[in-house]
Amino acid sequence: MNATVSGNRNTRFLYAGIVIALLISILAPFLASSDPDGLESAAEGVLGEERMSALEELAPVFESPMPDYSIEGHGKAGEAGAIVIGTLILLGIGLALGKVMKKK
Amino acid sequence: MHIPDSFLPLSHALIYWVIALPFIYLSFRWARREMDDMKVPVLAALAAGIFAIQALNIPIGMGTSGHMVGATLVAIIFGSPMAGVLVLTLVLLVQGFVFADGGITAMGANILNMGVISGFTGYYAFVALRKMKLGMKSASFIGAWAGLLISAIAASVQLTFAGLFPLVAGITAMGTYHLIIGFVGEGLITAIAIAAIERSRPDLLENSFLNPEHGGNVA
Repeated sequence: MNATVSGNRNTRFLYAGIVIALLISILAPFLASSDPDGLESAAEGVLGEERMSALEELAPVFESPMPDYSIEGHGKAGEAGAIVIGTLILLGIGLALGKVMKKK
Repeated sequence: MHIPDSFLPLSHALIYWVIALPFIYLSFRWARREMDDMKVPVLAALAAGIFAIQALNIPIGMGTSGHMVGATLVAIIFGSPMAGVLVLTLVLLVQGFVFADGGITAMGANILNMGVISGFTGYYAFVALRKMKLGMKSASFIGAWAGLLISAIAASVQLTFAGLFPLVAGITAMGTYHLIIGFVGEGLITAIAIAAIERSRPDLLENSFLNPEHGGNVA
């Protein structure tokens, strides 16, 4: 991070954002509801369980490294870790993109 | 509301990509025009925060849960729906590729629904309500709520075109669930976040909602 950015008033906003985002990331696996989301619930309702599970069985187009926000064999800690990693990836992408895009 | 690949025929998925791509392009053009040293930290914090909060599913009863989308919040803070499209595009890319949340071929539809439709509906509802002299909190609450609900209905219609959902039953189910998810998961959280920013950093919001065409010049 360069001097102009760290000397900037919005850097405090960034730090506050990082703290809040990481806190949510760590707590999410323990607080989040495991009930299906609105789309899945609606699909189960209108398609029936059988057709729904047939659709879910289909192999994904792309093999994700951490499907369903989890790290295999690490339970809740793995889930928290996965979400923390995702949060940090987006932080990195956001900073990098901003830097590339910003006015000179 | 992330549509998986198995829910959309490839041809449909491609059509939604074609519709979403101009908006993605415009959102990058927006960033090129607007990003400066002051705004980069805000954009990065919002991208990280929106990803984190999307992992937090809130129970809404009926054995169902839902989470915030966040496009309206981002759009209000930056004073442009393009900001919402940009942040949601980044979030959905990481969710799809790293966490298998939302499909890869279906990502165009998800960007269209959660970035474009939810952000534009939410932001312009917010702007209209502000012009009617409604307070910041109420306008952001109703705007965000409407944005989420309309984007859920759009997803339902796409699944009807895909031959998966019956039109009326699909809209009824999606509408009912997202009416509640939109109230808590989108409306309340957006209003609370806006209230917190208004209290601690009113300068961030000062111009953005008054000048919807150009995005406020925060600096």
